Amino acid sequence: MYLYLSCSGEGDEGLNGKQKKSRRLERKAEKKPWAASVLLALIVAGCVCGELFMTKDPTFMDLANSERAPGGEFLFGTDTLGRDLFSMIWYGGRISLLIGCISTLLSTAIGVVLGALCGFAPKWLDLALMRFVEIFLSVPSLLMIVFLQAVAGEQNVLTIAVVIGATGWCGIAKVVRTEVQRLRRSEFVIASRCMGGGFFHILRWHLFPNLLASILFMVIMNIRNAIAAESTLSFLGLGLPLEIISWGSMLSLAQSAMFTGAWWIVFIPGVFLVATLLCITKIGAYAQDVLTRKERNV
Amino acid sequence: MRFVFYGKRLLSFAASIFILSVLVFCIARLAPGDPLASYYGARVERMSGQEREMAMERLGLNEPLAVQYGKWLERAVQGDFGISYKYKQDVLEVIGARVGNTLLLGGLGFVCLFWLSLLLGIFCAYCAHGLLDRIICTLGTAVSVIPEFWLSLLLIYIFSVTLRLLPGSGAYTLGGGGGFSDRLWHLILPLCAVILGHLWYYAYLVRNRLIEEMRADYVLLARAKGLKRRSVLFGHCLKNVLPTYLGIMAISVPHVLGGTYIVETVFSYPGIGTLAYESARYKDYNLLMVLALLSGIIVIFSSRLGQAIGERFDPRIRSRDRQEPDRG
Repeated sequence: MYLYLSCSGEGDEGLNGKQKKSRRLERKAEKKPWAASVLLALIVAGCVCGELFMTKDPTFMDLANSERAPGGEFLFGTDTLGRDLFSMIWYGGRISLLIGCISTLLSTAIGVVLGALCGFAPKWLDLALMRFVEIFLSVPSLLMIVFLQAVAGEQNVLTIAVVIGATGWCGIAKVVRTEVQRLRRSEFVIASRCMGGGFFHILRWHLFPNLLASILFMVIMNIRNAIAAESTLSFLGLGLPLEIISWGSMLSLAQSAMFTGAWWIVFIPGVFLVATLLCITKIGAYAQDVLTRKERNV
Repeated sequence: MRFVFYGKRLLSFAASIFILSVLVFCIARLAPGDPLASYYGARVERMSGQEREMAMERLGLNEPLAVQYGKWLERAVQGDFGISYKYKQDVLEVIGARVGNTLLLGGLGFVCLFWLSLLLGIFCAYCAHGLLDRIICTLGTAVSVIPEFWLSLLLIYIFSVTLRLLPGSGAYTLGGGGGFSDRLWHLILPLCAVILGHLWYYAYLVRNRLIEEMRADYVLLARAKGLKRRSVLFGHCLKNVLPTYLGIMAISVPHVLGGTYIVETVFSYPGIGTLAYESARYKDYNLLMVLALLSGIIVIFSSRLGQAIGERFDPRIRSRDRQEPDRG
């Protein structure tokens, strides 16, 4: 019995039944997120080729049929302006997902470049830049987005995506900085510099492949956060206007609809939104699981 | 030595706030639209060209940005942040009337969040990988991805509209005077929304850290000496995890504050969040600027506080900081 204590419990032998079960569950927790992937794929596919099965024109305001309950002609019911929710879900999801992707691309680009700059920079510049990041982070990100959005003036898909992307890069920058500081003394980077490789060349061909693993989780989470931020902004009326359909702007009608008993306007876009966010989270958690496990084995 | 230490801390705090104010000021001034509008509102359109010139001159809007900032800072130090365009009132007065409500909601939410997520995390770590733990994990992940505004909508729909149990908006019954119990009654739903929106994120963190800590060798030794699992968890592991948790909770202040702002807006709770939302809608830059600044100061202060607390409790953080300079 004392023997297994000394071998610090690496194998399963010597564990009692309950411990064995917990080990098995631990492994099970890292299994591939099939359900989440399939669901997300379905939602994305539905949004991309929504035209194939949309029953109505999502932008058409059929005021005679406003706030119809789900069923019959209108599968998910209609909203306060008489638009068909079923068609709007697929049409609007496209915008929501697009904003998530554009702003993530932007925030990843800014985060990687700034983080690498910090990693390569002399100590004083690095310190100054990191302090700047700290200050930038100190304003709650939504307030910062609202602020920038107010400044940007015009509200369309691109400005929203850019504003959300411009506020989401700090976490990635921090991780990239630490990684670059670790990597910049490695032989392959020094060799590349000796052969005259510039900052962006080294970043693209030597550092980025090494960075990918450590920032993948954050990039996936950034997509999620961007979609959530867009929906929050549009819900508040600070993001996309009502005419540009996204899950968020569909929900901006929810607050008033709630009091007329039109629960479908509150629930249906919200369920799609939350399901998408949940799937992305599951996939992100799996990515992190796999990557940290690899790190532990080295 | 001690004095120098605290002096340095204070100086870096002041420097951070100074840079924050520069940042916020520049963003606000770069905004498109007529800067005069934020001072005179709709009257700008009726001004003649000469009047405009004079007003620009008097407010110093013709001068370079740096000079403008200097003047703004000079007035700001004296407590004059300008006039809110929407409320036609001194900015500080507008904020002062509402900051208490936000501090109540945010502060109470933060304290509850702190304890609840700690307790939930410990509980999950204690029965790690058991049935209860798995149920809580699944449920927690699902709840934690729900955006705050939708969570608030759900709470209002269920408890206020359908069940008619709790009030769904405001901070007190209108015309009711606003006694303590009345305020608390109105606080329940927003508080739930703030807590539920963040609870699992931090509880999960505590859970994972504790489980990781339970794999350390000293736990094995303590168990071998005959200590119970529970007493090792509370007596040894928790102590090692707490400083990290404190640090993370201190960094979490902007998230919780941001969450509070959204929840406030959905519940039309008269706090800073609702104010920020209104000022963004009506392009009230003076107000928005001060709100961003105020939030920033609260956040910077709490993050520094968290750092200090962490160092006090955990000497490892201090030594880690001292070792850092010889990197690379």
